[in-house]
Amino acid sequence: MTNRRPLELTVNGRSRSIEVLAHHTLLDVLREDLGLTGTKECCLVGECGACTVLLDGHSVDSCLVLGVEADGASVTTVEGLAVDGRLSPVQRSFLETGAAQCGFCIPGQLVSAHALLTDAPHPTRAQVEEGLAGNLCRCAGYEQIIEAVLMAADAADADAIADDDLAARSARLRALGDRAATPDAELAPQ
Amino acid sequence: MRPFEYERPSELAQATSLLAEYGPEARPLAGGTDLIIRLRDGSLRPRVVVDMKGIDELDGDIRDDDGYLRFGALTTMTDIAADSRVRRDYPALAESALFVGSVQIRNRATLVGNMCNASPAADTAPALLAYGALIVATGPSGTRHLPLEEFFVRSGVTTLARGELVVAIELPRPTSSRGSVHLRRTRRRGHDLASVTLACAVTPDGKTRIAYGSVGPRPVLAIDDSGRLADPSLPDTDKAGLLDRLFAGASPSPTSMRASPEYRLAMLRVLGLRGVKAAIDRLASAQAP
Amino acid sequence: MNVEDERGAAPRASGVGATAPRVGGLERVTGRQEYVADLPHADALRVKLVTVDAARARLKAIDTRSALAVPGVRLVLTAADLPRPMPRFGPQRRDRPVLADRETKYHGEPIAAVAAETVDAAEEAAGLVRVDYEELPAVHTIAGSLAPDAPLVQDPSLRPGDPLANSNVLREHRYGWGDVGAAEAEANVVIEGTYTFPMVTQFAIEPHAFMAAPFGDGIAIWSSIQHPYWLQRVIADLTELPLSKVRVFAPDPGGAFGGKQHAKYEPLLAFMARKTGRLVRLVLTLEETFQAVRRGAAQVRVRAGFRRDGTLVFRDIDANYLIGAYADIADRTVAKGSYTANGPYRVPAVRIVARSVLSHTVPSTAFRGFGNPQQIWAVESNMNEAARLLEIDPLELRLRNLPRPGEAFIPHETPADGDWAMAVSRAGEMIGWQQRPSDGRGRGIAVGLKSGPTTGLSYSTVRLLADGSVVIHAGTSDMGQGARTIFAQIAADELGAPLEWVTVVMGDTAVVPYDQQTSASRSSVLMGNAVLGACRDIQAKIRAMAVRLEGVPESDVTVDRGEVRLADRILPVRDVLVRGLGRLGGEVIGVGEARKEADPEHPLGGTSAFYEFNCTAVEVDVDRETGDVTVMRHVTVSDVGKALNPLQVRGQDEGAAVMGLGHTLMEHYILDEAGRIRNLGAIDYRIPTSMDLPMRMESDAIENADGPGPYGAKGMSEGALLPVAPAVAAAVCDATGVAVRELPLSPERVWKALHPSLARPLDPVEATPR
Ligand SMILES: Cc1cc2nc3c(=O)[nH]c(=O)nc-3n(C[C@H](O)[C@H](O)[C@H](O)COP(=O)(O)OP(=O)(O)OC[C@H]3O[C@@H](n4cnc5c(N)ncnc54)[C@H](O)[C@@H]3O)c2cc1C
Ligand code: FES
Ligand code: FES
Repeated sequence: MTNRRPLELTVNGRSRSIEVLAHHTLLDVLREDLGLTGTKECCLVGECGACTVLLDGHSVDSCLVLGVEADGASVTTVEGLAVDGRLSPVQRSFLETGAAQCGFCIPGQLVSAHALLTDAPHPTRAQVEEGLAGNLCRCAGYEQIIEAVLMAADAADADAIADDDLAARSARLRALGDRAATPDAELAPQ
Repeated sequence: MRPFEYERPSELAQATSLLAEYGPEARPLAGGTDLIIRLRDGSLRPRVVVDMKGIDELDGDIRDDDGYLRFGALTTMTDIAADSRVRRDYPALAESALFVGSVQIRNRATLVGNMCNASPAADTAPALLAYGALIVATGPSGTRHLPLEEFFVRSGVTTLARGELVVAIELPRPTSSRGSVHLRRTRRRGHDLASVTLACAVTPDGKTRIAYGSVGPRPVLAIDDSGRLADPSLPDTDKAGLLDRLFAGASPSPTSMRASPEYRLAMLRVLGLRGVKAAIDRLASAQAP
Repeated sequence: MNVEDERGAAPRASGVGATAPRVGGLERVTGRQEYVADLPHADALRVKLVTVDAARARLKAIDTRSALAVPGVRLVLTAADLPRPMPRFGPQRRDRPVLADRETKYHGEPIAAVAAETVDAAEEAAGLVRVDYEELPAVHTIAGSLAPDAPLVQDPSLRPGDPLANSNVLREHRYGWGDVGAAEAEANVVIEGTYTFPMVTQFAIEPHAFMAAPFGDGIAIWSSIQHPYWLQRVIADLTELPLSKVRVFAPDPGGAFGGKQHAKYEPLLAFMARKTGRLVRLVLTLEETFQAVRRGAAQVRVRAGFRRDGTLVFRDIDANYLIGAYADIADRTVAKGSYTANGPYRVPAVRIVARSVLSHTVPSTAFRGFGNPQQIWAVESNMNEAARLLEIDPLELRLRNLPRPGEAFIPHETPADGDWAMAVSRAGEMIGWQQRPSDGRGRGIAVGLKSGPTTGLSYSTVRLLADGSVVIHAGTSDMGQGARTIFAQIAADELGAPLEWVTVVMGDTAVVPYDQQTSASRSSVLMGNAVLGACRDIQAKIRAMAVRLEGVPESDVTVDRGEVRLADRILPVRDVLVRGLGRLGGEVIGVGEARKEADPEHPLGGTSAFYEFNCTAVEVDVDRETGDVTVMRHVTVSDVGKALNPLQVRGQDEGAAVMGLGHTLMEHYILDEAGRIRNLGAIDYRIPTSMDLPMRMESDAIENADGPGPYGAKGMSEGALLPVAPAVAAAVCDATGVAVRELPLSPERVWKALHPSLARPLDPVEATPR
């Protein structure tokens, strides 16, 4: 078999220096060589987004990137979204709206959501739908996923969702487009 | 995936000589959104994959270049869709780039890769054809420019010679105002490969350039310079006949599972009329004081 | 969704009825949730299946020499390595061979399997296994399978004593009551139609994953399985080990939808693990999942008679389900889906005939809705056509024929267990049924009924630890429905522990007591009752402690909802616990059991534990030129008895609705003439994305606390999928006047229905390439 090639990259802020096979994808490298199994594998053709990671800040399907292509790059996976053990706003809002059902698509959804909110801190609902269209959810919690992203956008300034004023937040949710809003009852303090 | 050698040359000459040496046994790699799928499914089995992202002479920039807007070999769909010059002067290209796959795909997929892959369904091809794009190819024997119409042969096959790489795509700057649009048909609203893709551009001189794909082995450009298609007052029933002549190059595959030939042709007609109308409307608003 | 305050008191923070955060949610948003493919496997042999590119083929010879020569290959298992006769398994019939037995019977059936030290080696070797085969004619349509000269899919020797053994009909089911012939005379209007439902696939985002390894003197299996205990039995049978020596680990599946109920490749892996003495691991590709699981296709002819006032007088249903080459649980989906095919209606005379038709296709299996969506598509579409013909509002037509709560609507069966008219009316109010939609748009409504489990058995142990925290053992699989959360909420409530203090242990047959299965939306009801029972057991022990500690008579003490109530005061459970356990500490263990007994006389083996009822109303916009259907509004109302967790109820209903939109608008297998699946994988099998949602989706739950589960809950999570297709088709018909009786309502199909003359094949001039 072909020889291994050196690969140096930064994953979730930590620099890693390994050897990989040229025909192994970044997804293989993350899951098999680096043991970062949060990034998921499903379709392997760029359709489902379960393998989404940030490559130098841009969301990509890691099943369509060779590991060797990431040489010198910085990669962020779902494991890198929480900082110092503190969940990111979008992780917290996913919990809050019940966006995660089986959870298998969720790492990819979160990375895409994170990328979207970096580019468009206050997205419209249509932008969220578009921004997440590359992440299939078969449990199809799309409504709750979209709400979570919008909620995280709202909460970004306030930072801590948990401390946010619940009533005000639910009123904001209700104002989001002509979609069904989440009534206060669902946002009752946990 | 089958093993292969990976090369990441830093100079264009190295890349072209690798390609010349290995011929069909070597494959250039840009964004990989087509190539890696084919490496995995085994429909391509090169010995060497030549990654172009380390080549000094190639970049992903969009540059104004003496009468042309020039897209580097590494320009991604994301960059195209976001570029203000493209959105202003080549809106059909911006629209079509935005249709390509998902955000994750567009962050990798290159415009040049979309052409070199030579899928009949390539979404940016009709817009590029309608705008008169030129392919800039460099090989062992130098650099040449060729109109995009002369680039496609059939699905997956182009007129690139052994050792040649596409280094850029050039679009002539518009010389007058223009109305243009890109439309497509898919099986769902979320990203999907097009069963018909079409771009239409009308200019004040009455010329209509209409290009369409996914209805035959390669994208097709057709031009109406009778002025009639671009005439806002001509009823659709008359335009339908004119369009049918422009669509003579359509020969959808009877075996495709994405759509039947009769549906594709009917949709080509629908998109044709809608495209002409939208282009006329855009031209009118561009000319409005 | 709209959480009405009809529930009364405000919900407690995290207990039952509250929108408690998902237990396991934190793991899921941090990437720490471990699915089977994420488990450590450094030393595992990687397995790759070997198949041939044909639907049906006679296997002449298999040459494994080049494959074995690939460095790192440890085993190439073929049928020759397995015991004779070929070991077979299956939940209904033992008809599925561990590897294809002399003949492959569907596209993708494994005929050999490679185990190697690396994925690369396994893949390379799998490609080098040379199979000499002869393609044989395959049947893959209902008509083809039923043709008099059709090749037999199953060897009659596998069906001893079966009068149908010389046909491709695996079983014919007949249900009904009343005299349809006589009733026909009373009908003023008879409406007849044939409705087609395609093959669709579960498409869980987690592809099935399996591992097996020798384990002590037995074997361990890891599988993304819904029914670990059933799998344990299958493996025990095949390996001739006692149940106690087969340990099944079942990490939470990453979506299952029925497709992970029953054993698929675990038996193969068990043989490979024993042969190699190693841990073996197989993760399917998405393409391979398409060749492992799907829903049965169906063609259903419905004749229904009505009086002019809309009263139903008879229904006559004849359904053929195209199941695959092996029975799996498919025939049960046919039986259960057809038994209630008449739906939630009061009809004096009903005749239902349904056949399970074998074919050379992927074995169909359970899939959310379990055989009902096919019938509901037909019967509800027929109902909507009747409404048009009778000029009766389709919502009103339903109200006229729905049974009242408690009314029998299928003889000798559980009577109507909900106020279904309330759900229909609610859906109507939510979508504004009384106002006409704006021009060009159409509205449609439909209802769906599905019977819940007919038998069931769940055990749970609950341990109240010395500090008042709780460990629950429950054999349910949490595949996204949120079972962990529900059980934790129940225990938290009953034992007075904060939700975060509850741990739910699942997915290990050596540790967790038996549960029959995770299917038919049963777990909140059956396992929920078992957990509740275990909590009650603990409460009884706490009560005894209180009696002892306080020196009061038993009659003065009650324990409920986390509180110990004495005559003069209320104590938290924890108080009594800590004092009661005393210096040695320890814990209080409760055991719960919930059964739904079988009834051997019943055609399904038991009556329905509950019904899932849903009403869906939609508004669509149809582009007449292209056939595009856009769902502008989608309202879904389920009767859930009691929403134990409204947030999860909403997730289940909306998720089921979107899944229903998938098979309604875009999903279907496309087979070639030889019976091979052409659209394997994600590129040409389309499922809804976030851009394919209805423009507006609203869900609501009817809660009358009239279910058999904890606090009056019923099972839910399939209901909202059931009536989507007929509701959308009715809306398309309302908008365009054209009734489409075949799914999916893809743009091309709708366009063809709208333009029958344009849709003829092209004339030759146009079709010639330039
Ligand atoms: C999920 C998904 C969705 C997609 N959706 C769409 C869509 O909607 N519309 C659409 O048009 N396409 C779509 N595509 C296809 C693909 O993304 C585009 O064709 C893309 O533009 C290809 O660019 P790339 O840089 O990724 O090319 P690569 O995969 O790197 O290369 C494509 C081909 O071109 C060759 N090549 C690349 N660059 C050069 C060069 N400079 N000179 C010579 N040869 C070269 C390669 O060898 C290869 O054969 C989709 C792909 C995926 C995976
Ligand atoms: S696994 Fe990469 S997009 Fe599906
Ligand atoms: S949560 Fe299950 S696939 Fe999205």
